[in-house]
Amino acid sequence: MNDMATLTKKDFESNQDVRWCPGCGDYAVLAQIQKLMPQLGIPRENFAFISGIGCSSRFPYYMETYGMHSIHGRAPAIASGLKLARPELSVWVVTGDGDALAIGGNHFIHAMRRNIGLKIILLNNRIYGLTKGQYSPTSELGKKTKTTPHGSIDRPFSPVAVALGAGATFVARTVDSDLAHMAGVLRRAAEHEGTAFVEIFQNCIVFNDGAYDAITDKSVRDDNRLLLEHGKPLLFGKERNRGIRLRGLEPEAVTLGEDGVTVADLVVHDEAADHSGLAFFLSQFDAPKLPVPLGVFRAVNAPAYEGMNNQLHADAEARRGRGDLAALFNSGDTWTIA
Amino acid sequence: MALMITDECINCDVCEPECPNDAISQGDEIYVIDTAKCTECVGHYDESQCVAVCPVDCIVADPNHAESQEQLHDKFLRLTATPA
Repeated sequence: MNDMATLTKKDFESNQDVRWCPGCGDYAVLAQIQKLMPQLGIPRENFAFISGIGCSSRFPYYMETYGMHSIHGRAPAIASGLKLARPELSVWVVTGDGDALAIGGNHFIHAMRRNIGLKIILLNNRIYGLTKGQYSPTSELGKKTKTTPHGSIDRPFSPVAVALGAGATFVARTVDSDLAHMAGVLRRAAEHEGTAFVEIFQNCIVFNDGAYDAITDKSVRDDNRLLLEHGKPLLFGKERNRGIRLRGLEPEAVTLGEDGVTVADLVVHDEAADHSGLAFFLSQFDAPKLPVPLGVFRAVNAPAYEGMNNQLHADAEARRGRGDLAALFNSGDTWTIA
Repeated sequence: MALMITDECINCDVCEPECPNDAISQGDEIYVIDTAKCTECVGHYDESQCVAVCPVDCIVADPNHAESQEQLHDKFLRLTATPA
């Protein structure tokens, strides 16, 4: 049964009843991840799913892998420890906009900058769902919720922009209702060395239904979303006749054929650029003024933290021999209290 | 024609309670529609309720069970008839 060649999606489904609300976008993410796991060529016992607190953090219960439903906002810290102790494991963090960006903001930033081999999947529904509908760090300005009855005056931030700002080497975004796109993005994340961050726009059908209608409703979505493809011009629209042009440092949506605009005038996506300038530009796009980008914003190679950590230990040991913790404790400036 | 659920189904359970014909149930892998009971909501609603609520659009017309509006309506009458 644990023969990798014969693993299927079913092997990654636990016997627990899935307890999300009917119609929740979380089901779509769970199904895609369960589908992806057997394709990665990794033995099932080498997967670990670590979560914090929130609806999305129920994830480890439903995966037939090792895992831990840990403490609020601290999943990246616990997962980092696991990855350092067992670098051969495929360690996944499943979190939400509240867990990762409010109470866990600090841990989130440092996981991004360290480039440690974690796959961090953030299910962003722009609301606190588990606690029944309070505003989150990604809730829109003016949003009325139970804790903002007169509308929120907190400006939301973009998880993608935060990750890029912290120096993340892999940053992507997808949406719960586009299964093929989600599968592609998750696979890219799984294969990335170092921290891979994926934001998934996820509809909370009970407390924030329709939050992403502009980019999921089939009648309008093509005009409001921009599918990023490496090396390809930034084109969008139902007719794929609209695109993004840079005027100085100002991005603008243009229509091909109007005012002599051609494909050659459009920005070409480069996820592998040394700097994260273009990716950061894209992270600021929002409908209706500019289409919402989906896909891989940035994917660059950099040494992973766990490898550097192992090397650091090996070098120190080669230089100074194997350490002795008891000897260290009793060395240097020590004294006895009478 | 009756509707069917494709393997894109994510088992989210949102469709089952919406069905006025009790035609939807959880199968071995994914949710399934009982062709004999599905009227595409003809007789009950203007649009198919499961299609309207499915978050991943995985409910489509079943090409193996083509039925006209009249046939669907007859099925509705049959299903809702009170036994004599």
